[in-house]
Amino acid sequence: MEPAVSYAERSAGRLKYGFVAPALVLLIGMNVFPLCYNIVLSFTNAELSGGAWTFVGFDHYSRVFSDPRYAAAMRTTALFTTLAVTIELALGFALALSLQRTFRGKSAILTLLLIPMMLSPAVMGLYWNLILNGQYGILNQTLGALGLVQPQWLTDPALKLLSVLLVDVWMWTPFMALIALAGLQAIPVYLYEAAEIDRASVWRVFRRITLPLCAPLLFLAVLFRATDALKQFDLVMAITGPNDAATQTLSALLYQVMLRDYKIGLGSAYAFVVLVPVVALATVFIRYVDAMQRRQGRGAT
Amino acid sequence: MTLRSFHRIVCVFGFSFLGINCGGAPEATPALTVWWAQWSPADGLQELGNQFEKETGIAVKVLQIPWANYQDQVFLNFGNNKTDFDIVVGDSQWIGRGATKGLYVDLTTWLPTAIDMKKVHPRAARYLCEYPPGSGKFYAAPCETDAVGFAYRKDWFADPNEQAAFKQKYGRDLVPPDTWDEFKQVAEFFTRPADNRYGCAILTGRSYDSLVMGFQQFLWAFGGSWGNDATHDPQGNVNGPAALAALEFMKSLIPFAPQGGANMDYGQVLEVFTNGSTAMMMDYFAFFPGIVDQMGDKVGFFMVPRQGDQRFISLGGQGMSISTKTSPEQQERARQFIAWFLKTDVQKQWITKKAGFTADTAILSSPEFRQATPFNDAFAQSLDHVRDFWNVPAYNELLAAAQQHIGEALDGVASSQDALNAVAEKHTQIFKESATQ
Repeated sequence: MEPAVSYAERSAGRLKYGFVAPALVLLIGMNVFPLCYNIVLSFTNAELSGGAWTFVGFDHYSRVFSDPRYAAAMRTTALFTTLAVTIELALGFALALSLQRTFRGKSAILTLLLIPMMLSPAVMGLYWNLILNGQYGILNQTLGALGLVQPQWLTDPALKLLSVLLVDVWMWTPFMALIALAGLQAIPVYLYEAAEIDRASVWRVFRRITLPLCAPLLFLAVLFRATDALKQFDLVMAITGPNDAATQTLSALLYQVMLRDYKIGLGSAYAFVVLVPVVALATVFIRYVDAMQRRQGRGAT
Repeated sequence: MTLRSFHRIVCVFGFSFLGINCGGAPEATPALTVWWAQWSPADGLQELGNQFEKETGIAVKVLQIPWANYQDQVFLNFGNNKTDFDIVVGDSQWIGRGATKGLYVDLTTWLPTAIDMKKVHPRAARYLCEYPPGSGKFYAAPCETDAVGFAYRKDWFADPNEQAAFKQKYGRDLVPPDTWDEFKQVAEFFTRPADNRYGCAILTGRSYDSLVMGFQQFLWAFGGSWGNDATHDPQGNVNGPAALAALEFMKSLIPFAPQGGANMDYGQVLEVFTNGSTAMMMDYFAFFPGIVDQMGDKVGFFMVPRQGDQRFISLGGQGMSISTKTSPEQQERARQFIAWFLKTDVQKQWITKKAGFTADTAILSSPEFRQATPFNDAFAQSLDHVRDFWNVPAYNELLAAAQQHIGEALDGVASSQDALNAVAEKHTQIFKESATQ
């Protein structure tokens, strides 16, 4: 005979579904449905301006991999993501180390650091477009006044991606710094005291205490920034536009295909193919962070 | 109180908050909504729209959308079952997509009843109103007729010292150039980087279509083309010897431009001209009233130069099209407004608005028009030489490919021949794909 389930237990069971339901509905409405619809569209020749569409099978997917624009955008995105995340991580961690100790004016500096990442990337992109303008931009005006070379940041093909990178680093290094700072401040002081008693060198303390204990948070920051940089769009749009071969990231290419070429079906296939490496990367990072936390948990016990 | 009166009272007091009209007061005529890009001519159209409302009781709202988002917004809106606009003042290149995708109302039988098409400049009719060009099938009425032209520093050209130095160097008078070779000489003459003075600024920007609009004038003048008009085949046309000579000539002008001259869009060429550093600047006539406001009589205007006897100028401007995704009543009102706008009297007012350019041949040839502004004469002459980029449904893909590859040639990333070959290859592929769709 099965044990009787009380009314209270049944009610609690229903209640938990009641609490989860709004989030579930939102998730399905805002994420799952668009994703499924995107997959359906990717097999059609649907166009932005409406009209009848038909299924075209895997035509778009086969085209994605033979399109030189896609390969070029993939390379640009990979290069941008690698450089941006690496530079931001290095600078952010260095900044966090320099802010680790308490000193006068620290809170003011932290507040100032927050400003770039609190501003809209699109607005910042437009501002930087003016700042980097080769003719009247304040950067070149200043360089000119100092008698230095005035690079054409927005028109020289060798400098265009660098300009976007510069703005991204300016915006997101503080984010890395803040996360790293949180990690540094969570390290127990007694570990440093023990290392001091053991007369450990500064490098050894950094390598054996600071870096390993900060690593999980740093990896989390890298994960956030890498997935964000892979989607880079706002700055490219504002600084060079979506059709510039030197800076055409995957998202910019998607915009060009969907909104400028009006090919929603083809664009959906591009979007789905872009989603695969992003999800794969996120999964790898999450598993890595999980594994690291488990190792630390075992170490602590 | 009769039952009928009681019902009326209930209607008025009971349902008024719902905005339900139960009879009595006549329903107001819905306003006509016109979408256009955000610029001076749209202000002028709104002023005329206000006048139309006074005459007919039909209100006209001209909604201005920033140029950067205009195309996206219009075609996103066309994706709906009903558009938010009744009339769209669409770019000349949109007409193929509008006509073939069932977005623009076919005006073939109606337009000639609204205006005698013989009064419309034939080039404007061909490129702004017809699809396919020359077919006699109309999908738009002429609204803003525009062309590329040049502004130059009249005060520099008039300087006796400059005139003497130029004559000594080149053996001829310093006057606005009529041929591309003369243009290059003048550009070279005024290029003095040490004095922050440069010869020319031409359209080379990558954001939308400015590089193509700049380049195609050289392409056509040197004997090349984007492709065969009938078959659309670009091979041997856009990458032939004439096209190569055109691109090489265009590249040879870049050293006479201010820094960044290999990538300047419509706004940037204006900037380097109005900041006083550049002698000659290529841009659309619609931007020229602003230059006159800013620089007064220091500035003069001339037509795009010729190569031999070949002078070709990039068409600009937009036609008025009626959305198929608006009610038949609104479409009828839209026709009423367009017919009114095309009347000669209204066109005479239109040309008094800032950057309001007409396609009416009688007005264009009248001395009053030609003398009204410093640029009208050059504009009227330019219209006889205008030509447009492809306006087929896949125009934007063709445009993006041309912008990207010709841009690579200007940037030195690819040789001119490789860049033109890439354009030809890409255009062939786009035409092939669009034919199968």
